[in-house]
Formats: sequence, C-alpha cells, structure tokens
Amino acid sequence: MKKSKYFLLLSLMLVISSFLAACGGGDDAGKDKEGADKTAAVQELKMLESTAIPSMDSVMAQDTVSFTTLNNVNEGLYRLDPNQEVVEGVADGEPTISEDGTVYTFKLKDAKWSNGEPVTANDFVYAWQRAIDPENASPYGPYMMDGKIKGAAEITAAAAEKKEYDLNTLGVKAVDDKTLEVTLERPIPYFKSLMAFPTFYPQNQKFVEEQGENFGLKAENVLYNGPFVLTEWDGSTDEEWVYAKNTEYWDADTVKLEKLTWNVLKESQAAANAFETGEVDITGKLSSDVVPQYTGDERLLNWLEPTIFWLKMNQKNNPALKNVNIRKAIAQAINKQDFVDGVLANGSIVANYAVPNEFVKNEETGEDFRAINGNELLPYNVDEAKKAWEAGLAELGTDTVEVRYLGDDTESAKKAAEYVKNQLETNLPGIKVTVESVPFSVRLDRENAQDYDLQMAGWGPDYLDPMTFSDLWLTGGGNNKMDYSNEKYDQLVKEAQTTLAQSPVERYEALAEAERILIEEDAAIAPLYQRSSNLLVSEKVENFTYHLVGPEYSFKWTSVK
Amino acid sequence: MMSQEKIAKEMFLPAEVDATKSEEISKPSLNYWQDAWLRVKKNKGAIVSMVILVLLTIMALVGPLLTNYGIDQQNIKHNNLPPRIPVLEKVSWLPFDGDLTRKNGDVYNAYEMKNVDNYYWLGTDSLGRDIFTRLWKGTQVSLYIAFLAAAIDMVIGVLYGAISGFVGGKTDNFMQRITEILVGIPNLIVVILMIIVMDPGILSITIALTITGWVGMARVIRAQVLKLKSQEYVLAARTLGLSNGKIISKHLVPNLAGVIIINTMFTIPNAIFFEAFLSFIGLGLQPPLASLGTLIDDGFKVLQLYPYQMIIPAIVISLIMICFNMVADGLRDALDPKMRD
Amino acid sequence: MAKYLTQRFVYMVITLFLIASLTFFLMKIIPGTPFSNASKLSEAQLSIMIDKYGLDEPVPVQYANYLLNLLKGDLGVSFQFNNVGVTDIIVNSMGPSATLGALAILFGTFFGIILGVISALKQNTWVDYSSTFIAVLGKSIPSFVFAGLLQYYVGVKLGWFPVAFWRGPEYMVLPTIALAMFPLATASRFVRTEMIEVMESDYITLAKAKGASWFEIAFKHALRNALIPVVTVLGPLVVSLMTGSLVIEKIFGIPGIGEQFVKSITINDYPVIMGTTLLFAALFVVVILIVDLLYGVIDPRIRLAGGKK
Repeated sequence: MKKSKYFLLLSLMLVISSFLAACGGGDDAGKDKEGADKTAAVQELKMLESTAIPSMDSVMAQDTVSFTTLNNVNEGLYRLDPNQEVVEGVADGEPTISEDGTVYTFKLKDAKWSNGEPVTANDFVYAWQRAIDPENASPYGPYMMDGKIKGAAEITAAAAEKKEYDLNTLGVKAVDDKTLEVTLERPIPYFKSLMAFPTFYPQNQKFVEEQGENFGLKAENVLYNGPFVLTEWDGSTDEEWVYAKNTEYWDADTVKLEKLTWNVLKESQAAANAFETGEVDITGKLSSDVVPQYTGDERLLNWLEPTIFWLKMNQKNNPALKNVNIRKAIAQAINKQDFVDGVLANGSIVANYAVPNEFVKNEETGEDFRAINGNELLPYNVDEAKKAWEAGLAELGTDTVEVRYLGDDTESAKKAAEYVKNQLETNLPGIKVTVESVPFSVRLDRENAQDYDLQMAGWGPDYLDPMTFSDLWLTGGGNNKMDYSNEKYDQLVKEAQTTLAQSPVERYEALAEAERILIEEDAAIAPLYQRSSNLLVSEKVENFTYHLVGPEYSFKWTSVK
Repeated sequence: MMSQEKIAKEMFLPAEVDATKSEEISKPSLNYWQDAWLRVKKNKGAIVSMVILVLLTIMALVGPLLTNYGIDQQNIKHNNLPPRIPVLEKVSWLPFDGDLTRKNGDVYNAYEMKNVDNYYWLGTDSLGRDIFTRLWKGTQVSLYIAFLAAAIDMVIGVLYGAISGFVGGKTDNFMQRITEILVGIPNLIVVILMIIVMDPGILSITIALTITGWVGMARVIRAQVLKLKSQEYVLAARTLGLSNGKIISKHLVPNLAGVIIINTMFTIPNAIFFEAFLSFIGLGLQPPLASLGTLIDDGFKVLQLYPYQMIIPAIVISLIMICFNMVADGLRDALDPKMRD
Repeated sequence: MAKYLTQRFVYMVITLFLIASLTFFLMKIIPGTPFSNASKLSEAQLSIMIDKYGLDEPVPVQYANYLLNLLKGDLGVSFQFNNVGVTDIIVNSMGPSATLGALAILFGTFFGIILGVISALKQNTWVDYSSTFIAVLGKSIPSFVFAGLLQYYVGVKLGWFPVAFWRGPEYMVLPTIALAMFPLATASRFVRTEMIEVMESDYITLAKAKGASWFEIAFKHALRNALIPVVTVLGPLVVSLMTGSLVIEKIFGIPGIGEQFVKSITINDYPVIMGTTLLFAALFVVVILIVDLLYGVIDPRIRLAGGKK
C-alpha cells in the first residue's frame, strides 16, 4: 500500500513536470528577440495591433489587420499614399480607358515576387477568379466585384441557385504578360482607388497551387511583392510578427524602414503603458477612455475616420417606427454634442449626415462632398423633437411607445446605450427603451433577420466614393435591413451609378439630394457621430501613414528620425 | 517558596461533601445554537463585521434615496467630477475637496473648472451620474446576487455533496459524473442561452448561476463526507443503530460547518465577479442598472485619470468581503462542536 | 485498483461524449452566424457560404458529421481565421496559458499554504488577521484590477519588469503574480480552517506531549490532514487557471487560449468552441480523477470504489 502511494505521487509529479517542460519549450522557440537595438539611427520600429492576422490569403481576407498586412507586404495595381492619393503600384502609369468608361487596360511594371518570378497579368486574372469562385466562398470577393466587374454578379447568382457558371466570364483578361484588360459592368469613377484594395491583388498561380491547403498559413507559405516581406509569422494564432524590408521591391529606394515588429495588445491602457516604457513606438487605436490622458500631448496622433455611427430604425416590426414623425422625433431628441464632447471626448464629431466629412472631394471642383449639404440635416432640437413626437403619437393614437435597442460592438457601446436610452426617455415623454446586450454573433443574426427596433451601428467605407455610403439604403439593398424604401432615393442613386457616372458635379449633387431625402424627409436613420482615431506615435517616427479606406497603415514612406 | 508565611488554621474549612450536588449543572442549559451564539459574541471582530454588514445592507436599501439624484440621472456637463462633501471639503487631508491631479502632477479643482455648485459626495461618472447613488444601487444588486448564490450553494450543493459522499458506491459515481458534465459545458454558452431565451437581466444571470454554481460546494462537501464517514464516531453511531438521516444531520453537518462556511465565502465573490465578467464581455445587466462589479469595471478603464471611480466601489466590495470573512471565521469557530468549552 | 481505473476511464469517455453532444446542441439552439462580415454580404453570397460550410444541413446531420470527424481526430477548421485547423489554434494558444496557469497555481498554493498554516497556528492574533486580510483582498479585488495596478506601478513607474507580451521568464512575473492571488487566497483560507480543526485532534495533542517540534507537528502531522478540502478545491482551479484567463491575457498581451475561447463563443466559431470545450472537459475529468486518487494518498481511511479495495 505504502509503495503504491508514493508511486502514484511520483508519477503525478512526472506528468505535471513533463507537461510544464513541453509548454515551456514551446514558446521559447523562434522568439528570442535581440535585446538592445535602441540606437537612433537604426531603421527599426515596434507597433501594436488589436488582433492577430486572421488571413494572409488576399482573396479570403476580410478584416483590417489582414488588409493592413497585405498592403505592406504585397501590392496591387495601385496603392494609397500619405495624402490618400492613388499612386502607382504594379501598374505602369495611367490605364487606358475606353470611351464609355467600361474597359480599362493596365500596363504592368517589371515587378517581382519574392521567389524571383515576375508579376504578370495572369497573376491578376488568377487571383480575381479565385476571389469570385463560389468554391472558395470568399467573403470580400463578391462583395467588392458584384455589380462592378462584368460577369461577377452573374457567377454569384448562378452559384446561389446551384446552376452552372464559368469563371472565364469574369471581365478580366491577360492580353499578354504585361497587359491586363478589365471590363466593367458600368463606368465607375473611383475604379482606380478600388484597385488599391487587397481583394484585387495578384497571386502567383503556381505558388498558390503548390501550397494547396497551406497557402497563407505561415510566413513561408506566402509570396511577397510589396515594400516588405513578412517574417517570423507562425500563423493566425501568432501574436508577434515582423516586416522586413523587401530588397527586391521595384521601389526599394523609397523604403527606409528595415524592420517593423508587431505585437498584439488589446487593452488600450496596457498599450499606453507599453508605449510609456518604450517597449513600442506606435500603439494601435486607443479607446476613448484612455485618450483624455494625452490631451495636448504631441505624441497623440488624431484624425477623423470616415466612419459614421447611427441609429438604424427598423420599420419592419414596430408600427411606431413606420411613422415618420416618430422617427424624426427620435432623430432630433439626442444631444450629440454633449455625447462627443463629454462621453467620447476623443475628437469624434457630431454627425448630422449620412456621408462622412473629410472623406471624398469632387474631382472637378476639389470641394468636399459635405460642402453641398453641410452638417445641418435634422440636427438635435428638443422642441422640434417634442412636436414631431406629439404629432406621431396622435397619428398612432397612443401615448406610449416601447422600443428595443440593440447596441454596437465597440468599446463605447455600453455608454452609448445608456446615453441614448436616457436622452430618449428624458426628451420624449411616453417612450420606453429596452437595451438588449447580446453577443456579437447574435447581434449579426438579429440584424440579418431584422429582429430589432433601434440598432446602433457604424459603417466604414471600403473605397473612396460617397457611393459606399449611398447604396446602403437602396430598396432591398443588402445592407438596408430596416425596410427603408423611397423611390426617389433609389432613382437618384441609380442615376449617380449610371447616367451621371461621368459627370462628377451632377453626380455629387444627386447623391447629396438623396442624402437629404434619407435624413431630412424620411428620418430613416438617426446619425450620431463620426468617429475619430487616436494613437500614440513616438517623436522619432517620421511619415507615419494612415489610410481612410481598406488597409489602415502604410509603412512604405515611414522612417526613423 | 522559602519564606512562606504561616497560615492560620482558622483559614481552613472542611469541604462539605454533598452527594446530591455533585451532579448539579452550574452553567445555564444551552442548546447548540445558543451556545454557538455565545461564542460568536465573544469574537469582537465578528461582531464589528456583522454590524458593518448590517449597515452596508441598510445603505444599499436607503442609500439611493439619500441624494437628489436618480441612478440614471445624467448630466454630461457635470461628468467625471471627483468627490466633494460639504464641510469635509475644508479638511485638506481628506480627498473630498473636488481636486484632481493631472498626469503631469498639476492639481486642479474640477468643480471650479466646470463651474459646478452642486455637491456630488462621491463624485460623478463619465455620463455625469452621481456615484453615491449608483454605488448603493450597485451594492444592492451585488448583495442580491451574492445572497442568492450563497443560498443555492447551501441548499443544492450541500445536499447533493452530502448524499453523494455518504451513500457512496454506484450512486456516488453516477452523481459525480453528472456534476462533471455540468462543469464541462462552458458556462458562457449556458449564460448566452439564458440571455437569449429569457432576455438579458438579473433573472437570467441568476438562473445561469444556479445551473452550475453549486457544483464546487457539492464536491467539497462530498470530499469532507468521504473523510468523516469512515471516522470512529460515525461508525459508533451507525453501530448504535442511528438512521442515515440522523447521522447526516446530527453528526456530519455540524462537522461540515467550517467547510460550508468557508466555501460560501468563496462563492460570494465568485458570483459577484461572474456577473462583472459578463458585463465585461458585453452581456449581463441591462443598462443603466449597475452592480459593484460593473462599477469597478467601468472605473478601471479611467483609473489613471479619475482613480476615485474605481477605488470607491473597490473599497465597498473589499469591505463586504472582509466582513463576510470575519463573520465566517467567527461562525466557524463557534459552530465547531469540538471547540465547545 | 486497476479495475477501478478502467471503470473510471470508461466513465470519462462517456462523460466527454455527453459533454460534447450537449455543448453541440446548445450551440445550435443559440441563433447567430459565424460570418463576421455578414452585414455586408448579399443573400446570394450568404447562401453560398452557408452551403460551403455545411451549415444548411439539418442539425442531426451536422452532429453526425461532427462525431465522424472527431473519431478521425479531425476537429475542423476555424471560421475566424482562414483555413486554420482547430488543433493548431488550440496547440499554439494552450502553451502560454498552461505555463502561466501552472506558475500561478504553484506560487499561489505554496504561499497560500504557508500563510494558512501560520495563521492557523497563531489564531486570532495580528498575524492571523493580517493574513486573513491579504487573502480576502486577493479574493475580493478582481484580477484585472491587480493586473492593471501591477502593470502601471511595477511595470511603468518602477520599471522592474516588462509591462506586456510573452517572450521569456521576465515577462511572466507580473501576470503570474496577478493570477496567483486567487489560488493564494483560496489555499490559505481552506488551510487555515482545516488546520485549526486538525490541531485540536487527539493525535496532535499526543504529538505535542511526545515533544515533537513545532515544525514537525505543523507540517508533518497536521498539514497533511488539512489538505483534503484544499485538494478538492484546487483541482478544478488548476483546470480553470491553466485554461487561461481572459482578462489577464488581454491586459498583458499573452497569446493564450482563455481569450481565444471567449471570443469564439461570442462570434459563434463552432469548431473552435467544440474543440476547446472537449479539451477543457478532458483536462477537468482527468484532474477530478487525480483528486479522487489523492484523497486515498492523503488520508488512507478514505476508500474509493465503494470500499471494495
């Protein structure tokens, strides 16, 4: 008996210690970082990100971290520069555009993949076909191509109905190795900027097919043709990865930075702490709770993101929300100024509009889109809100309205919910707001099923054009999901997409009029604020570049002072 | 020893030997609980803690009514104000003067800066709500969750564990496998399910806690019962023909008291923080309702700018926990039959 | 003994099967989509994706498929990461969590037991009160607060240890302390309670009478008998600590499984949820078995398996 007891204890200890040894060994491997590299001249930086990289397959990527990484280690026809202008990538000069604006012909540079092979027109054709191929079920492929690239929507529709489709019907063709011809569904004024988006990047067919299932899983399973190459990336669970300068890059002379180390740190305060101790040179985007600590600090970099947060008012279930006066009352009853100044306090601004400020300029006049309608569409006004409320209640023949509120998934979601509930209940007598907090996936499901009354939601653009906001509210549109429908709105947006496509001034005016109808006449949504981004950047960093659409940052032009 | 005084013989008296008195009970007759109470009373720490707990409970009930502010009364213009209390604000070493310190060390009076004449005794949060009011409302919610969790533990956990351990054999095996399954299913999935089936709120959280909350207690009790039931006095009781129910209630439960109480003391913060964890991931209480857990969570985010927003609820929760523990220790010492004097 | 172990092993497999099945069906009751960009997708595209991942099949069919793959050792592919196997995710993120959890358990239990023994021996003195105070603080202040304070004061202000990330021993110090407060408090409270009881037993009195030293009495005779509840409580705690702490991992930037798991649940990444649940459950039943066996080691009077031994 005694013996067996000790044997048991002993074996237990063995099990535990071998387990520990196994675990301990696992994370040492490949992670020893050089300790002292703190000399000023060294072109190395460290930055934080909020999640690991979910995908390095440009066709399957669907989130900003993946897009950002792809943007720095790969390159499409064009890329965005520090002034958010479209500049050359793999494309050599401007494309030739057919008279009707639907056929683009691009000449390609002598760019190289990291395995030495040239980047050819066929690489684009291959990647684009992969992106639209229903077999791959890429989330962003059809989203970016349907209705834009000729034949894309047809392929998606055929696959959904389980019919035959042919990938070669997609409007992209390699005329020769260095000439790419793209046919569009209709003229798209912002098509060049679309080409900077990672979904449209090239892929080397031979390499992708060789890698098979492993493509994009680790640093060595990806080919690079961008300013940097990805090293020390062990796959999607790795929370540390490194960009190293790509000496084979066609514009390698411009690239100063030799090395950029990334780490994942989600907590904003922790990120600020790591910044304070010099463990990182640039933080990720900080939550609004941390930003006020750095008010007036020169290291705080702040810019206006083209992301608007609004309340979607679902007209499907709740009869009260079908009433335009009730919607107008809700839209006017929330004091947005107090919210952005007092609660967010991170440089976000009041939004009385549905297309963001400092986002797009008219290519003919150079004027911001917002110059047309200003920031005065259905602003906060308690008296007007009360009037509309009374009128709405009278029309409905009731004196109480109950609405459910579905929050967003940002860090300020809870505060926003508490604030909106309080504002509505204070300013609109008889309203009762029930806040529902549910997990992210359930929220998505409820949005798709239109199982909500009020939903706080944000929308960030995927390309540089007001259309990325305007087409949200088309009747039956994929993102409408609140049963909003106005013939006039549909007509104006359709005109901007078709007949006005090549006349910028009229096109903007049509879209602005549509926006006015959406908010001022129909109060379909209640915009609250346009978000601001904040991050801490060390003084030694020069030319730190952020973007407004798609990938968040570019390091091609960044250097250390 | 050496210089003993002589003791006069008169000082000695012969003892009266009275056979009838030798059986007399000199102390008043007390039952188990009276006796326990007597011993609790001797423990100063436990008594003080009990008084504090009663006070906290009273404050949790009446506290929100003591101010002119509602728990959801927002005034963004008055947000993030530090504590300021009339009279006490004049005492410079007390933190009730409305001063805040910037990151660079500058001290400024937030009330003067924002031109506020009101007094917020414990300050305001980021939405300009009075923390004093929300603190006591939060205490109320947290105490409710704590008591509920403790009650579930006591009833289901103790019974389940005692039966499993005492009966033993196949029954024990079967009952233990059931608890393993219950623990094996991720708690969060159960909670999410509750929230979706029943709408978020205190009730769904409570039920989610109920489903698995008692398992830890059941395991501890079972272990103790396994240990106790093979001890001599239980064997003796069994040999003397005592029924199982009597053995459990008369012999085992008093001996389990210590472990039950200690484990309950651990259930309480677990329950409070499980609720806070839920709100941390965006589930949990429906805004604007608060609990101590959510208050600490919210305050933690602005710790470096407005430390009072976290420190105040943290003090209350620590106070509750320390008092519970002192009372628990006192009770444990008092209920342990071996310590009767 | 061998018979008992075989029997327990069979039960373990059944338990795991039941846990997996129940979790699977519970997950399916919760509505939700694993596609994070669902709001951008058109209906045609959603139907293509649902079709590709087999989510349009009836739940019993999905269940059968899942079990078949499970038997083949295939846990499936994650939704949140493109084409990454669940096994890879678990293996990669389990390492840091398990290391941290084990460290926290070791340090926490060690100091907890010492604290508990001391306060039991010095019952109702200031030593006892202050150790109670420490334990209660460890229990009543949430670990994210400890983590935040440690990071700011020890990491930033004093600069003694790195504030975040997971690169080597010095990076483990702060998260270990933050996480160890919990087992420390637990162990010390249970040890104190049990020690007080044990110290009054006759055999301790006997040992005292025989002139055994203070140390011998406390650690050789008394502590061993006080360990039953400690082991019971710490067993499952080992599992919950080794399987990661959402908040600690988040604050210290540790690539662990705790955060991964919570995230999977909130975004409905079925395969990852199922795989992780199975792993946790397996760890749990093994630990429970070990705890049950330890009862016998600690106190030979306890007979398992219905006293047939």
